[in-house]
Amino acid sequence: MRWCTPVGMAMVTCGLSSASAAWRPATAGQDPGVQVDTSYGCIVCHADKRRAFVVGVHAERGIRCHDCHGGTPTAYETRAAHTRGFIGDPGKVRTVAICSSCHADPNRMRQYGVSTGQLAELRTSRHGQLLLQRGDTAAPTCTDCHDAHTILPPVDARSSVNPVNIPGTCGRCHEDQRLMARYGLPTNQLAEFRRSAHGVALFENRDFAAPTCVGCHGSHGALPPRVTEIANVCGHCHALVGRAFAAGPHAASARAGRLPGCLACHSNHGTERVPPEQLAALCARCHEQNSPAAALAQQVQQEIVRVTEELRVAEVALEELVRSGEPVVDTRFRYQTALTYFRQVAQVQHNLDLEQLSDLTRRAGSIARDIRAVAEARRERRWEHRLFLIPVWFFTLAAVTIAGFKLADLRRRGE
Amino acid sequence: MRRVLNWIRRIRDDLAASTDASLLAVPRFLGLLYGPIDHRLPINEALRKALRYRLPAHVTWRHALGGIVYLLFILLVVTGVLLAVYYRPSTQEAYPSVQRIVTDVSFGWLVRDVHVWAASLIVVAALAHMARVFADGVYKPPRETNWLVGVLLLFLLLAFGATGYVLPWDQWAYWTIAELLDAVAVLPVIGPPLARVLTGDVIVSGATLSRHFALHVIVLPWLAFWLLALHFALLRKHGVTPPITPSDRDKPGLPFFPHHLLRSFIVAVLAVAITVSAAAVFPRPVGHAANPYAVPDSLVSTWVPVEVSLGLVRYLTPWGLAAFTALGVALALLPLFDRDPARPLRQRPVAAALGLAFLLGFAGAWVAGRTVRTPSTRMRPASDVLEQRTPRRTEPGAPLPEVGPTPERPAAPAPEAARPPRGVP
Repeated sequence: MRWCTPVGMAMVTCGLSSASAAWRPATAGQDPGVQVDTSYGCIVCHADKRRAFVVGVHAERGIRCHDCHGGTPTAYETRAAHTRGFIGDPGKVRTVAICSSCHADPNRMRQYGVSTGQLAELRTSRHGQLLLQRGDTAAPTCTDCHDAHTILPPVDARSSVNPVNIPGTCGRCHEDQRLMARYGLPTNQLAEFRRSAHGVALFENRDFAAPTCVGCHGSHGALPPRVTEIANVCGHCHALVGRAFAAGPHAASARAGRLPGCLACHSNHGTERVPPEQLAALCARCHEQNSPAAALAQQVQQEIVRVTEELRVAEVALEELVRSGEPVVDTRFRYQTALTYFRQVAQVQHNLDLEQLSDLTRRAGSIARDIRAVAEARRERRWEHRLFLIPVWFFTLAAVTIAGFKLADLRRRGE
Repeated sequence: MRRVLNWIRRIRDDLAASTDASLLAVPRFLGLLYGPIDHRLPINEALRKALRYRLPAHVTWRHALGGIVYLLFILLVVTGVLLAVYYRPSTQEAYPSVQRIVTDVSFGWLVRDVHVWAASLIVVAALAHMARVFADGVYKPPRETNWLVGVLLLFLLLAFGATGYVLPWDQWAYWTIAELLDAVAVLPVIGPPLARVLTGDVIVSGATLSRHFALHVIVLPWLAFWLLALHFALLRKHGVTPPITPSDRDKPGLPFFPHHLLRSFIVAVLAVAITVSAAAVFPRPVGHAANPYAVPDSLVSTWVPVEVSLGLVRYLTPWGLAAFTALGVALALLPLFDRDPARPLRQRPVAAALGLAFLLGFAGAWVAGRTVRTPSTRMRPASDVLEQRTPRRTEPGAPLPEVGPTPERPAAPAPEAARPPRGVP
């Protein structure tokens, strides 16, 4: 039994005054008239929890310790305080129930514009199945991803569920080899994601439109997409590519579950972009060498490699035009048009319509060749400037020779 | 064939027989030297006197360097006037007008590139001329005033180039000038006000362009005109410096016409031909239009002093530029201290060492400046600086560093402790 001594009381008073100020962090600093809540006893012993709690949104909304943990917050003595339905450490399963008591209640959440589907989603997720159905406490509960006391909105860069922090939050468990071994899961997802186009966009370009783990797996309903769902998951963002894929010959196999959708060519977490010159080799992993499909792959590869090279040359030609002083506004606009066609090529190659693909590469290539021709014409014109040197040096040498003769003559005559 | 050879031989004989009188026959034939003008003004006599002026025997090809500088200056004035016909000094129109000059205007490319190349060659020629004058000890009394005027003319040349450098208003010009003005602002006392006056704004902008254009085409040409007039007047007043070795002083000199004029003609024709050839073979590339919001990935320097300055600023900080300028000023003021009449270089070890240090420093800084291919990191825009101040991850995907006072936040759970299996064996 711990009793508060007078010194302890003094410390409590100090702690309360700062704590009550922190209950309203938005105004407490500026408002000298804020009421000091001297009746709240939890913080006498749990000052560390208070510090963690007051920076979060729950503190801003007036939620207090007893709203989740029960007990008698008006008491200063441990035994008296830990009564009346006190819940100390609620445990993982009960945590879900505590959080859901508000977050699954539309009447409470409506005012904050927060959805109430988290519990329903959690029940469908692998995490929820393990925790709620099997009672596997190694599975995460709400507070493992959101923290128990520091509840920050996702837009806050410090939040564990801020887009940039989500991969790290998931990785805390999914990079743990010992834990994942129990479920037969790999642990290299985060490392692959960091190198992927999505990871580079998120971490290096700060592009928050790039998907994190939850973009493909869902957050509360986290579950790996089924084989038949992969094309739909990727197509959610890559809509045009997804539509092209659905119209192509591979779509039926994907729908039947014989082909892992996009993952047949691109990996899941690494999301490798296939280099154009390796397209045919990629197709050869499934299609026999002399099959019509392999021939089609060769043709697609040739078209894409050719137009890629033509666009690269056009880019160099454009820079050359700039350096020669040629106004390039129109030319640059045409180059952008060619790039647009090229991006359409990247979509159309997924439906393997060679005619459509050739049409786009022909258009892009035609513009690229035009730009190169303009640059070559300009280069020739600039080279022709050198012809001007023929008369210049003819007259120069003639003048110098005549003057030299005259000088030599003067010297010979001793003048 | 024989007729052609006869024709060439006749031209040669005519030239061999030509005298100053035959030269004067041209204006006389055109009616310029006779009539009321010549009656009132003795032009004929003055010209005759000038042409018969005898130069000392030791005056040789080495003495043509000053003439080359003057010739290149004339070339710069002529091409500059032609450029000014089409150039428009505003941030919106400067770059397109330069594009138009080099692509649309007849021989605009030639005029512009001759202007660019002459601007570089004139600095080299002027330094060579000064080196010759310095080595011969020509700056000794009574010609010290003319040395100082020459030094002022050199500074004027540098000012011409520096003010003209930003006029194309492309990325390279913009960011080079921005970096050099930034370096100037670092220098004590004179630096900040000078940089402020030259920039005219908080960054290099349209105000800077207007100021540089006004200086380049109005202020500096007038200064150059008066200083050149003074330079030539003092040259005529004191005459060509006598030879160092006394035995050469007794040799008979050569008349200005036709001997020295022919030599000058040969040098001038060759200098113009070389400038035009350099302009045609190595035209100055045009960068992208100036953009104060985007630091370019690369810089291309196109003027010798800019390369020297960039080399000094980048490798020795702005203080290197200040020290080198101080060395130049010390050399310029040398005549005030070096009053000893001894002229051979071996008898002037301090002056020789200073001159050699300047030339070697110039060459070294030039070579160093040629290696500068990227803008200084100091030139990064403010947004990038802010970006650098925000917490950055040490590697992609690593946790964000703490912001704010860390004790107020709960300690981040250690990876082992944070894992869910609480109470799980």
